[in-house]
Amino acid sequence: MNTFQPIEILRAIPKILQAFPMTMLILLSSLLFSLLIGAAFAMMSLSHKKVLNVISKGYVSFMRGIPTLILIFLIYLGLPQVLKRIGIDMSGVSLTAYIIACLSLSVSANMSEMMRSAYLAVDKGQREAALSVGMSPAVAFFRVILPQAVGIAIPTLGNNIIMLFKETSLAFTIGVLDMMGKARAVSSANYGATKLEIYIAAGLIFWAFCFLMEKGTRLAEKAYTKGRRT
Amino acid sequence: MNFTFIKEALPQVLAAIPVTLEMALVATIIGWIIGILIAVARRNKIPVVSQICAVFVSFIRGVPMVILLYVAYYALPMMIYSATGIDTTSIPAIWYAIVALSLDQAAYSSEVFRAALDSVNRGQLEAAWSVGMTTWQAMRRIVFPQALAVALPNLSGLFVGIIKGTSLAYYVGVYEITATANLLANPGLNFIEAYVITTVIYELISFICNRLFHTAETRLNRFRPKTVA
Repeated sequence: MNTFQPIEILRAIPKILQAFPMTMLILLSSLLFSLLIGAAFAMMSLSHKKVLNVISKGYVSFMRGIPTLILIFLIYLGLPQVLKRIGIDMSGVSLTAYIIACLSLSVSANMSEMMRSAYLAVDKGQREAALSVGMSPAVAFFRVILPQAVGIAIPTLGNNIIMLFKETSLAFTIGVLDMMGKARAVSSANYGATKLEIYIAAGLIFWAFCFLMEKGTRLAEKAYTKGRRT
Repeated sequence: MNFTFIKEALPQVLAAIPVTLEMALVATIIGWIIGILIAVARRNKIPVVSQICAVFVSFIRGVPMVILLYVAYYALPMMIYSATGIDTTSIPAIWYAIVALSLDQAAYSSEVFRAALDSVNRGQLEAAWSVGMTTWQAMRRIVFPQALAVALPNLSGLFVGIIKGTSLAYYVGVYEITATANLLANPGLNFIEAYVITTVIYELISFICNRLFHTAETRLNRFRPKTVA
């Protein structure tokens, strides 16, 4: 049985942080795409067409019911097999692209729900007032409703980003060298002798960034809603 | 689609459902009990305990599930061995996964319970005292039922979350649904079939859990006067 050497935790931290840019790349790209996909489904769920509502609702509940790991396996291992049969070759797609696609899809459901409830939380009278002073619906949306909805959504957005950040740790499952993948690589480089210390180091790094993000969210909320709500 | 594979694999994947459910249920029960204790400790601002709980909750919420699982899987045998000298190789991996999942549930549910207890008007507790109930009676009969009704929608989300979280136990060698599907898919490269089966199973479990929690929620909210919409 190995003995626990706390000093190894400190030694592992800089090694794991080498993969920080990769984690950030995955985080930011997935964030962008999930917001776009989420916006599309939020619009569908808010539209007056029944079909669109049903599609959006089905999508959200599907994504909420499937573990991200299964989604990753389904898309990374399953999808190329299906596409191959209809003559599309997916072998040129990079691993990072797969991970970004999976995380974007998985988080987009939460993003869509976030946008929908933020939109609904803005008082109806605001829109009516904007229309009554002669704004077009689009102008009313961008100048009056959206700024208020963003303020309402900030805390949830912060939570979703933290969740997405933690989910990037699943990138190692298909061999992407993000922070978690790096931790595993470092661990196997010394034949697993200090694996516990290395995973603790990885945990501490994730914790530190989550802590910063939480603080950042609170600051953003304060700065943004300053003077807006009484 | 390879239907012979599906026909052969389906019973074996279905047979792994109890492992997933066992992990999720045991972890939920342990996690929620710890969660309630943490919530009470933090609400009553018990010195030292309250601060330790706050750090614990923040840590668990900031660390990805996979890392938590690995740390539990590697740290616990070491700790048990050095504390008691018991040989840990005979302990099945599922117990380490349960420990990690329980800690995760404890942290998240403590926040839910804290908010739910806060949502019950303090006047309720005072009214219960004024009719002669002890604090414990008042909590058990008046405050907890109301808090639980408030907490249920969030607890439902946590439970579905832990069902999804059990899929990660695959990485510490627990043969639950995901691991079984993977094992069966590998020799013939029947990935799409295996993961479609798994997806359907997880979706069904989530759906049923949501239904059950919804029923419980309606039942617990019986006491509320029905408002005219």
